[in-house]
Amino acid sequence: MRLRYGFFPGCTLESAAREVMIATQKVAGALGIELVELEGWSCCGASHIQDVDEELALALNARNIALGEALGAPILTLCNTCTLMLRSAKQRIDEDEAARARVNEALRAADLQYRGTSDITHFLWVLVRDYGLENLRKQVKRPLTGLKVACFYGCHILRPPQVMGFENPWNPRSMEMVVEALGAENVPYGERLSCCGFHAVFPAEREVLRKTGVSCRSAREAGADVIVTPCPLCHMQLDMYQPDAQQQFAESIRIPILHLPQLVGLALGFSPEELGIRRHVVDAIPVLEAKLARA
Amino acid sequence: MRTITFRIQRYDGSRSWFQEYVIPYESGRTVLWALIKIREEQDPTLTFTAACRHAICGSCAVRVNGHSVLACKTSLDELLKVFQTDVLEVTPLSNFPVIRDLVVDWRPKTERLKTVKPWLIPTQAGSAATGFAQSPQEYRRIASPTDCIQCGICSSECEQLAENPRFLDPFILNRAYRFAVDSRDAAPEEHIRPALESDLWKCLHCYQCVTHCPKEIRLDQEIAYLRQQTIRMGETDNPGARHALAFHDDVRNTGRLDEVTLPIKTEGLLRTVTRRLPFAMRLIRTGKVNPLQRPRPVRGIEGIRKIYAHVKEKEGKRQ
Ligand code: FES
Repeated sequence: MRLRYGFFPGCTLESAAREVMIATQKVAGALGIELVELEGWSCCGASHIQDVDEELALALNARNIALGEALGAPILTLCNTCTLMLRSAKQRIDEDEAARARVNEALRAADLQYRGTSDITHFLWVLVRDYGLENLRKQVKRPLTGLKVACFYGCHILRPPQVMGFENPWNPRSMEMVVEALGAENVPYGERLSCCGFHAVFPAEREVLRKTGVSCRSAREAGADVIVTPCPLCHMQLDMYQPDAQQQFAESIRIPILHLPQLVGLALGFSPEELGIRRHVVDAIPVLEAKLARA
Repeated sequence: MRTITFRIQRYDGSRSWFQEYVIPYESGRTVLWALIKIREEQDPTLTFTAACRHAICGSCAVRVNGHSVLACKTSLDELLKVFQTDVLEVTPLSNFPVIRDLVVDWRPKTERLKTVKPWLIPTQAGSAATGFAQSPQEYRRIASPTDCIQCGICSSECEQLAENPRFLDPFILNRAYRFAVDSRDAAPEEHIRPALESDLWKCLHCYQCVTHCPKEIRLDQEIAYLRQQTIRMGETDNPGARHALAFHDDVRNTGRLDEVTLPIKTEGLLRTVTRRLPFAMRLIRTGKVNPLQRPRPVRGIEGIRKIYAHVKEKEGKRQ
């Protein structure tokens, strides 16, 4: 099986969430998934550029998609919001001929053309649908037995279903299926489908920090050792802002947050250091050392 | 015999509790069918509202297993399949005061709805005698927002509203949008400004409203439109607009977001230095952010800038 993707890292993988880049490259290498970074990709707009200029947001993402099409491969992202932004643009252009004509006129200025030949997918979906959980299970070198995991999906891998459509947004199972394939234990809790609030952390700081605290507390009280998320933006919100959120709560909300590729990497036998887990604000190392057998 | 168990949240005006009702399973039925059956055969005190049974009056919305639905439109078979269960928990809509059992109080929402002037402020282009003609394209802009049946599902699902009662319910924002884009309306600002003043920029982009709306109205796109208009109106001196503009400008500069300058652009240098320092130090300490490492222009940046120029020029022409 040879899986090859045009890789769209998104801005955070180059900066605050560089550990996702590190972990993803390790995991992809171990699983034999080829990731070819799109040369010259630009920010997906992060759900903000559309609030200034929708047409521009569309044209910029058409450019990103055209870069992937030139590689002749589907586009893979690690970030929920990048996935949503690229898929939204693709859907709009594929369904609306006038939009397609306008976008291609804009792309001509950059010597590119949108053809509509590349699908846009997320690392989580690739694991479940393309690589396959059975195959993943076979690659596990250190089953994560005894590690209690609370899955936090994040909005933009599920909603809106008209654009995402991978699984039912009311009761998704893909994350739990991966966790189970890695040998860890799923912990059900109330906030697994909640919004992390990251996109409004500046204009709605009070509300967002409260939500962060509620999500962390809920997973903690359910007995989880860690929260795992497929989105680096959810990770930033739940990890980097956790000490700020704590200030709104009397009881402890403390819980380490892992990126999905890190969880996979641990099961494949990589050490926490190799997966950039030392870069987190909330230290995950002690609980991992206590719970995980040596590879 | 297969049965379905309903755990229904009751409220008698002072006390709240869950009550269980078991009914025989029948295929091809709706949530409303079950509620009516329970009321008629087991408990005449169970209180809920419904009228049209055709997803048109908007009076039957409740939450099932935490998700807001129209009881008359929602298939029991679907729910049992999605949740892999024969037990359903029915609760009243969130973000509303409850009057009794599954019945909520709409009066506060109706009062807030008035703030966006949910009526046409007519242009001089028509009159009562001649009417107000619209082209098919003009009509298409209001077709989807006019589908709203005011069922309250979006309010119930809104994650910002849950934390902040000042935020306008998505259906109210929909109404502001519906009149703001109506070609016969002379004063879009009068619909948009009240939305801006009720925390328009605090929408979290959680897409719960869009996901649950029984009419599939793209409230996300409507909110984006309202925000664009506030920027056109010159309302850029707020964290939400400045944040969005920072992304817009960064991508033209380098193609990438500059995380180091983002807080300064959004909140101003003073607030960043006085309030964000512990946060910034935390990130520098763990190696999350390196203030010296800044994005360099991506390959093809000239092309990106040409795209900006092209789009802006077209938009100038279109206006
Ligand atoms: S009864 Fe009228 S919408 Fe359901």
